[in-house]
Order: sequence, then structure tokens, then C-alpha cells
Amino acid sequence: MSSNLHQSGVRLLRMLGRHAETVMDVYLSGAVDEANADAGVLKKLTEAGILWRPEEDGGLRLTRSVRALLEEGLKDERNRQINANVGSALATIKTLADHYKEARSHSDYSAAEAYLADLSEHVYAFTENLRYSIRVLWGRINNEFGYVGTISAKIRENELAQSQVSELLNGLELFQFSELGEIASDIRELRKLLVTTLQETLSDCTQELSVVQARLLELLGRFRQIQGRTRLLKGWLLYTDMHPDYEPMDHVAHRKVPMLFNRAEAMLADAHVDVHNQSQEQELMEMVARIKSISRLDVKPAAKAAETSVVLSAAEDFDIPENPLKQDVEDYFVAVIDSGKRQSALEYLQEKALPWDSESWIYQVIGGFEGLSEEHKSFFELEPLGEPHPVYTGNFIIRDVELWLS
Amino acid sequence: MSDANFSGTGTGTGLVGHGALIERLLRGEFICRVTDEDGWRALKSPAVRERIETYLNQINRTVASAGEGEVFFCGYAQLGEAERKVISSQFKDICQALIPLVEWLVLVQEASGQDAPLTEGAPVRLTELQGRIEETPAFREQLGKLSQYRLFGSTSSNVDAQLKLVFKRLVELGFLTRPNVEKQIYIATGKLDYLYEVIRFIDETEGLNLEAQAETATQRELI
Repeated sequence: MSSNLHQSGVRLLRMLGRHAETVMDVYLSGAVDEANADAGVLKKLTEAGILWRPEEDGGLRLTRSVRALLEEGLKDERNRQINANVGSALATIKTLADHYKEARSHSDYSAAEAYLADLSEHVYAFTENLRYSIRVLWGRINNEFGYVGTISAKIRENELAQSQVSELLNGLELFQFSELGEIASDIRELRKLLVTTLQETLSDCTQELSVVQARLLELLGRFRQIQGRTRLLKGWLLYTDMHPDYEPMDHVAHRKVPMLFNRAEAMLADAHVDVHNQSQEQELMEMVARIKSISRLDVKPAAKAAETSVVLSAAEDFDIPENPLKQDVEDYFVAVIDSGKRQSALEYLQEKALPWDSESWIYQVIGGFEGLSEEHKSFFELEPLGEPHPVYTGNFIIRDVELWLS
Repeated sequence: MSDANFSGTGTGTGLVGHGALIERLLRGEFICRVTDEDGWRALKSPAVRERIETYLNQINRTVASAGEGEVFFCGYAQLGEAERKVISSQFKDICQALIPLVEWLVLVQEASGQDAPLTEGAPVRLTELQGRIEETPAFREQLGKLSQYRLFGSTSSNVDAQLKLVFKRLVELGFLTRPNVEKQIYIATGKLDYLYEVIRFIDETEGLNLEAQAETATQRELI
């Protein structure tokens, strides 16, 4: 018999594997798209108890057990369900324990063994289920019911979770260990199963559930607060719309000012230019005169905000007058752009009869090139001309540089 | 003189390291996790807060907090005539700012399709927001209206300019920070949470029942 069971189990799993695509499609969409599916396959899956048709004219769906297997295996938060029905589990456990005791007393050891195996399965399944339910609850708490979109939906989900927690807790109260102890009496196996294992698990779970409950309440409070804030804002707009002349009362005129409105005046302010101080007028005028805007791009001055008066606020508003050497280097760059040809820096210096020392000129050209932004730099190529130092290797003496458009 | 005061508190170097924080408080800034995490952490620690409080008390200042103790600012320890005047004008300022700020908050919430209004730490992506506002005439209208309030003072009729000005002003006022100047991402600060508390205070003290009114209005809309 057991080899039969083994074979049919393997057959079932193979079938699941063979039709994995179909099964997952159904899992994700809820029902089979019968128009596009192979009728033979569907028939086979239905006969194997993988698919079923809950309603005459409804679609084919996955059976609960297959769905549960997938949910567990995929850790799919969305579909996990909590089984809060502790009562029936308890009844089953008690019944099986009775069967076992009866079989033992009749010395029917093979039956007793079978009942004990069944009972252990049930107890373990029950505790696993309980722990699983708690894990699901934690999962929901930790992602703050992220699988539903709106705050109202989150609040509803939270309330559902709270009712499940209370149900679980009430269910756990059904377990009377004195009663289980009596059932187990002095049979070692039963005591181990019903008293030790169950008791430990249940006390752990009860504790954890109360933590879960506290966290759920806390979350609910936060959701409500968020909802409250939205309403507060909307309410404020509504109110001020309906009462256009409304002004808040003077809440700071009372003898005792609410802490909320007790805000001290700023003591340390940023340094600002005092435009009203006449004794500084001369310096200010000079500074203003020195300000100039540098605009190489042909950008039309953004429609000058005529109404804003000149405000001298920060140091970056001022600029140091340009160095004429730098200016000449810029002209050199422009000349290269205009000619589009390779141009030696020294030749340019001689051609234009510029007054600069050749070394500082080359320095400035290199500096000007390095100082360009990456974007602009990529337009040019600069090649140093010279020779390696005759004595000290690794040093390169630059005699001249050439610049061209890349 | 001040040396004597320092050693008088028995902490010696206790305030070293918190100088910048005290300065920020005295400059009238709000300290929250977003604007100054180190300072916020320091103020959360009772021992440090006690020391800062002792120091501030010498110049008639105190550390005040709002938003369930998540936002700190500087208040007066004792209120005299002059201090009352300051508080009164601050109160007027905040009352005048309430309507534009609330309109802005509602606009951001609706335009970004969010369930929750902005709160400390929430990011606003300006370009995304701008896209949504430009697409929807009703949002454009709301933005146009609120940008003209004196608080923002925009004279532009163009969404881009209006929005940039509004956000610039909100950064200046301390309601938003912009952690990276290269990016158009703004983060709401604890000062916004302070604002909610102000509205709630007014609502509760004047019995305006704002939440209830908003709720009935939404229900009516649903019907």
C-alpha cells in the first residue's frame, strides 16, 4: 500500500511540475483562462484535485491545498491567511488522545502507534500553524500593510488583524492544561506531546501575540494620526473658505502662553550689509561699481526683475576683476576655435607680441586648459612639446604647448 | 565671567561640541532629525539637554519642543513685555502663513496622489510634482492662486517659475531642506510637524471641529 501511495504521490508532483506554467498562471490570475488552455490538461488537473470549479458557471480555480502550498513556498504575503480556528484543532487532539488511550488499554499496539503518529502530526501541525499565523501578522506589521494602498484600507486591514489576534488569544484560552494533563495521565508519550510541547509553544505564542497586539494598536494610532492630519488640512481649507474673515484668536495674549507659541526671536543673524548706514555709502558704491556679470554665452539677460532692488547679501555676489593674463589666454583659446588649426602657444605669444614672460604664459595656458569644465575640455586637445630631463628620468621639460580642436 | 559660569555648572567642557547646536537654536532654527541629526540626538539625550538648558537659561532662553518631542526650538524662559511683543509678532506671522502653507500641503498631497500629507522626512521630487501639476488644469490653478500669497509673492504666470519660487521660499522658511543642490529633491522638515500642531491647537482651543467637518464633506462628496 505504501508503495502505491508513494507512486501516486510522485505522479501528482510530476503532474504539477509538467503543468507548472498553467498552475502559476491560475495562481496569479485566480481562474483558468479556459479559452486559451488545453482542455485535456485541464481535465487531468481537475481529476487530480489540483483545479476545481467552485460554481457551476464559474471558472476553474486552484484548490485550497495547492494554493496554500504555493503561498507557503513563495512566502507570498498577499494571499496568506490566518487560521484562527483553535477550537476544532483542540477537539481533534482530544479525540485522538482518547483513541490512543483506548487502543493502548486494549493492547492493540499497532493501532495505538498509528493513533500516536496521527496525534503527533496534529499537535505539530497545530503549533506550526500558530507560529505561522504569528509570522504572517509580523510580516503585515513590518511592511505596515504595504499591500493595500490607501490609509483607510490599511486601517481596515489593521482592524481585521486585531480581531484575528483576539480570536487566536481567545482560542488559546480554550486550552486547559489541567485537562490535558488529566488526559495524558501518566503516559509518557502523551505527556510529552500534550503537556510539554504544547505548553511551551502556547505560552511563547501567547506572549508574542500580546506584543503583536500592542504593535497593531500603535500602528493603528499612527494611521489614524495620518488620516487625522489629512482631515485637519482639508477641514482648515473648508473652514477658511466658509469664513473668509476668520482669524485665529490671539492665543498668545493670555497670561500663560502655550509653549507651542513661545518662540524666541533669532539672536544670531547672518552678517548683512547695512544699506541704511550712510557712513558706509562710499565703500558700498565702490563695491557695486566693481560687480560685473560675465556672460560668454549668448543668453539674453533673463527679463530683469525690475522691481527687485539691489540686495547685497552674500560674498559671492562680488567678483574680483579679471587678470589680464587670464584674459589673453582666453583670447588664445578663442583664436584656436576661430582658426580651427593647431596653434603653438609660444608662436601665438610672439605673433600677438604679448607682454608676458614665456614661462608664465605657458603655465597660464595649461592652467586655463585644466581649469575648463569637463564638457568644454573635451572640445580641445593640448599637447606639451619638450624633452625628458637628461639626467633625472621621469621628468619632462615643457618648452611649448600646442592647442587644437579635438 | 563666562568661564566662571561654565565651571559653575560642574561640567567643565560639557558644552564643547554643542556650540553649533546652541547657535542654531539661538538663530531661531528648528532642530529635527532631518535638519540636524546630531543636534537632534543631542537634545534627545536628557543629560545634554539639561546642560544646554542651563546655558540657555542664563540668557533667558529655554529649549522648547513640539511634534511629540521630535522637534526642538528655542523659547523664552521668562516672558516680559519685550518678549511678549516678539511672541505676538511671531504668532501673527505663523497665522498669516497658515492658509498658504495648508493650501500648498494639500496641493502636494493631491498632485502626488498620496494618502498621507507631507511629514518630517518625506521627500518631494520637484520635477515629478511639476509634471503632474502641468498636466492638470485644476492643480495649475491652485498653484497659481497660492503662489500669489504674500508668503510666496510670485508674480509669474508660469508653473515652473511659480513652483521654484514657492519651494525656494519654503526652504528659506525652514519647512523643506534640499540635501543636494544638484538635485531637485526636497525633504520635509520637523517644522511641518510643528505646523500641524499649531493647527491642531487652534482647532481644539477654538472648537472648530475641523476633522469632523472634513469628514462630513467627504461623505457628502461620496453620496
